Amino acid sequence: MKLAWWKILSVFIILYVIIVGLLVPLKQGITAVTPSSLNAGTSVDLKIIGYNTKFNSDSKIRVWLKQDDEHALESNKIAVSNETEITASFSIPHDLPFDTKVKDFTLVVDNAIEGTTVLPNAIYITKNDTIKGDFVNAKIENLTKANAITFPFRNILAETIRNTYFHVPLWFAMFALFFTALINSVKFLRTNDLQYEYKAAGYTYTGLIFGILGLITGAIWAKHTWGAYWSWDVKQNMAAISVLIYLAYFVLKNSFEDREKAARLSGVYNIFAFMAMIPLLFVIPRMTDSLHPGNGGNPALGSQDLDKTMRMVFYPAVIGFILLGFWLSEIKFRYEILKAKVLEDLE
Amino acid sequence: MVQQLFWLLKKEFTLEWRQKYSLGGIFLYVGSTIFIIYTSFIKIQPNIWNILFWIIALFTSVNAVAKSFVQESGYRQLYYYQTVNPVLLLLAKMIYNTILLLLINVLSFSLLSIVAGNPVKDYGLFSVAILLGSIGFSFAFTFVSSIASKANNSATLMAILSFPIVIPIIMTLVKIAASALRLLQDTSVWKDIAILFGINLILGTLAIILFPYIWKE
Repeated sequence: MKLAWWKILSVFIILYVIIVGLLVPLKQGITAVTPSSLNAGTSVDLKIIGYNTKFNSDSKIRVWLKQDDEHALESNKIAVSNETEITASFSIPHDLPFDTKVKDFTLVVDNAIEGTTVLPNAIYITKNDTIKGDFVNAKIENLTKANAITFPFRNILAETIRNTYFHVPLWFAMFALFFTALINSVKFLRTNDLQYEYKAAGYTYTGLIFGILGLITGAIWAKHTWGAYWSWDVKQNMAAISVLIYLAYFVLKNSFEDREKAARLSGVYNIFAFMAMIPLLFVIPRMTDSLHPGNGGNPALGSQDLDKTMRMVFYPAVIGFILLGFWLSEIKFRYEILKAKVLEDLE
Repeated sequence: MVQQLFWLLKKEFTLEWRQKYSLGGIFLYVGSTIFIIYTSFIKIQPNIWNILFWIIALFTSVNAVAKSFVQESGYRQLYYYQTVNPVLLLLAKMIYNTILLLLINVLSFSLLSIVAGNPVKDYGLFSVAILLGSIGFSFAFTFVSSIASKANNSATLMAILSFPIVIPIIMTLVKIAASALRLLQDTSVWKDIAILFGINLILGTLAIILFPYIWKE
């Protein structure tokens, strides 16, 4: 038996990704604050709804409304209703140090046990200039650093952030498989050895399955974050078109009786299709705005999206899915080669 | 070599001239398509006009180019196979098809302008779009038709193989033409033209590299 360490490795990596990716909890976050707009010079009780938080009356909780890096207001009284709900009282001064009429404030909640949570653009305060100089700046300091292993909490994304370990690596793996198929098609045309053609077809087949899975996981994710399965997003469209190109490859491959002829023509088309796919996936999406991260002002795979904990799952997931793809393709083309041999013997 | 290319080009034109009915058929196809569109829309908004024009261009181009490799008999193909360089043969067909598509697109543009109005503001840019579009369609369709012609149901195969490939071309064309129609103020239209030029270049180069492998069949 040939040593297949990478197959075993792929199983372990995928298991690791599924277990860690699905079980590690999210960092605590804030999902809602009411009311969301205030007038200066009033006293208010802000109801703060948390996610994954463990508020209790013993924990030392501090709440700020942050205007910018220098200016903030601190809450004067905090009441804990239950684990995920607190009420923070503020008395908003008349005079606030900003120039516009309305300004957005970031809510900062610090819990001495669990760490700090931030909700940007949480509160809009409308200015009231009748009394001057009653603003008292509260410094945000001594923030707690949480030590638990968690994935970041992002508004809207929430738990769906875990899909990063499945949706994105599927596309990476698809591209790796199509590229390997391309190399095998080139080899076939150079050597005329049919085994390369079987390999190319096997890699394309698995790549196509990964592509379709990538579309499905993306559509489900889109439903939960963008509100619809299909949002006419340029990357969704382009991915669907590349799937169409490769479906056409299989139609072409099966429309010839003669195996040699089918092999040669589909090999040529495979190279052509791969090159045609490059503008689809890498040029056109950069020309247009997209809802995807990295386009139209949305952040890409930067430090904001992937923190250290996520990287520890994401990179192995990419490698794991690529290895799994190679394994599946190998099974597929070995089966096809055997089948062809048996059919030849029968004839 | 240039002489051979010239000879092959001349052959394509002679062939077309001898089969005037097929050329006439394509022109009629353009005419009836535009008339159907006119009767269904009557008044066409500029943005719809833009998209319709390129859809018409797409379908007439497919029909015009699809016959490239099927109109000549197998015996004559064998004769070419033994006498001429396949790259030159493909090049001749590509050049011929580009000229044909230019003619067809200019015709459909004038017909559409007559019946549905002409919203084009920047003729220079629009001509560039038509030129690059004709080249791109000609390269992609000529090559795909050489693959599809080997199969029995070549018409279906032609459509499913070539449509996904030309989608990037169509999308850039619509964008460039939209600038020419002043539908959008685009300062980076030259970038789009460069992209389209790049796509055409890639398709043309690939077709020339890969064609000898198809021709062997």
